[in-house]
Amino acid sequence: MQFGIFSVGDVTPDPTTVRTPTEAERIKAMVAIALKAEEVGLDVFATGEHHNPPFVPSSPTTMLGYIAAKTDKLVLSTATTLITTNDPVKIAEDFAMLQHLADGRVDLMMGRGNTGPVYPWFGQDIRKGIDLAIENYALLRRLWREDVVDWEGKFRTPLQGFTATPRPLDGVPPFVWHGSIRSPEIAELAAFYGDGFFHNNIFWPADHTKRMVELYRTRYAHYGHGTPEQAIVGLGGQVFMRRNSQDAVREFRPYFDNAPVYGHGPSLEDFTDQTPLTVGSPQQVIEKTLTFREYAGDYQRQLFLMDHAGVPLKTVLEQLDLLGEEVVPVLRKEFAVGRPTDVPEAPTHQSLLAATAEATPEASSEGMTAA
Amino acid sequence: MKLVAVSAGLSTPSSTRLLADRLTDTVRDELADQGHKADVDVIELRALAVAIANNLVTGFPPPQLAAAIEAVTSADGLVTVTPVFSASYSGLFKSFFDLIDPGALTGKTVLIGATGGTPRHSLVLEHALRPLFTYLRTVVLPTGVYAASEDWGSGSDAHTEGLPARIRRAGREMASILVARATDPLPEDDLALSKKKLSDLRFD
Repeated sequence: MQFGIFSVGDVTPDPTTVRTPTEAERIKAMVAIALKAEEVGLDVFATGEHHNPPFVPSSPTTMLGYIAAKTDKLVLSTATTLITTNDPVKIAEDFAMLQHLADGRVDLMMGRGNTGPVYPWFGQDIRKGIDLAIENYALLRRLWREDVVDWEGKFRTPLQGFTATPRPLDGVPPFVWHGSIRSPEIAELAAFYGDGFFHNNIFWPADHTKRMVELYRTRYAHYGHGTPEQAIVGLGGQVFMRRNSQDAVREFRPYFDNAPVYGHGPSLEDFTDQTPLTVGSPQQVIEKTLTFREYAGDYQRQLFLMDHAGVPLKTVLEQLDLLGEEVVPVLRKEFAVGRPTDVPEAPTHQSLLAATAEATPEASSEGMTAA
Repeated sequence: MKLVAVSAGLSTPSSTRLLADRLTDTVRDELADQGHKADVDVIELRALAVAIANNLVTGFPPPQLAAAIEAVTSADGLVTVTPVFSASYSGLFKSFFDLIDPGALTGKTVLIGATGGTPRHSLVLEHALRPLFTYLRTVVLPTGVYAASEDWGSGSDAHTEGLPARIRRAGREMASILVARATDPLPEDDLALSKKKLSDLRFD
């Protein structure tokens, strides 16, 4: 099972100091957080993509390329890449380039993006969000799997004899997760292609996440990719830890109370009861995270949100120390207990390469027919 | 049969709640006369005010609000009563219905009611409540009941056009529609069920 962190990249004032980091500080902080993730033994760093203030990560492959140069093991991913407003041609090329530079340590998570005004800035319309996701993703798959593509669709200019460069490393396209909070169509899309499905699993009650994951697993089996239990599921989570749980609650409360997404709404206590948020000791984080398996089944990837709502870099790095040293080693061990042997691990470049090598030459054209 | 009243009254005791109770009592009695038993559930939005605000902020209902939404969406008939604020339903009343999936009330029988300080606000039923529930694709009864302060003190009985008579007429109307529709259930096949499951996944 993979563990890591995902960042939204918000620039939010620290409510305890009323200081707002500069964009430069925030961008460098995200990099420092990624490097720390590798140092403490995490597997994945994923950055969001946003094109409006107060967010900074508008160019994920630039950031991930820089992190790739400074790390050796970390899988570099996104949370999410906008399949609706980005040109699929550019996504295909950007991430193939990143794959080469990172020696294959790349996957990505597709998402639609949820703010209406962003769409027209990129020449699109949010009312077509689902249609854009479906068409653009189908084209992206072909661009990674076919050397020369003739294509015509509704949303972008046709392609004739087009070759996206560079070609994916070793001819193996990056593994794709589809992130969705509440659109069953996206769970269906992930299931159709046998791709991964990621639920952000923060801000929402567990029973909602459970329904989305169950839908994806059922449809994954329906499309013949394996049993429901073998589907590739990723979950988010949100934690704040101190050795003493009271210290964690006291320190996190002002950040919680002013957080952009839920601030000035429910109490920290109510929100902790109703959603996967854990504020407390490392042991409490371990216990609550282990309950995710009860509603999502044996899953492949667990990402935590830690650097948002103005929590300062120093604190985030301390959180990562606790996560890497005390929480994740126990979670690795406990999640392995009773895990069926036929439930696969999260696909990596190496595992996909090995699977391609095993497959017959005809099977390599599978992507064309699926698209 | 399940009858749910939504009262947006803010004081205790509240004339809005009183009107909701009198309407539901009448519907229940009329149903009983026609041989149908009705369970009545009254939802006081006042008790859910913080939960409603939290749902607006976070996007999901806290448990007690989720239970209220479930009660409303699974009811056979809805009685909705709001005080008049600034020539319309109260913000709390609107916020509650804003949190219900737009398709979740389709086809439901709804009796609308409102209370206010003066009879001059009585058209609130027609220019605010009726359009809201029409937008939600409910079947809104022809008779809505508006109660001004003076209505509660005026002498009238079932044979004049006072408040008791209007409550009685609305109650009868609702009971007869509920009974007619109870014997004519909508067919629910597998496809409709699976579509419903998909729409249930959306909280917005």
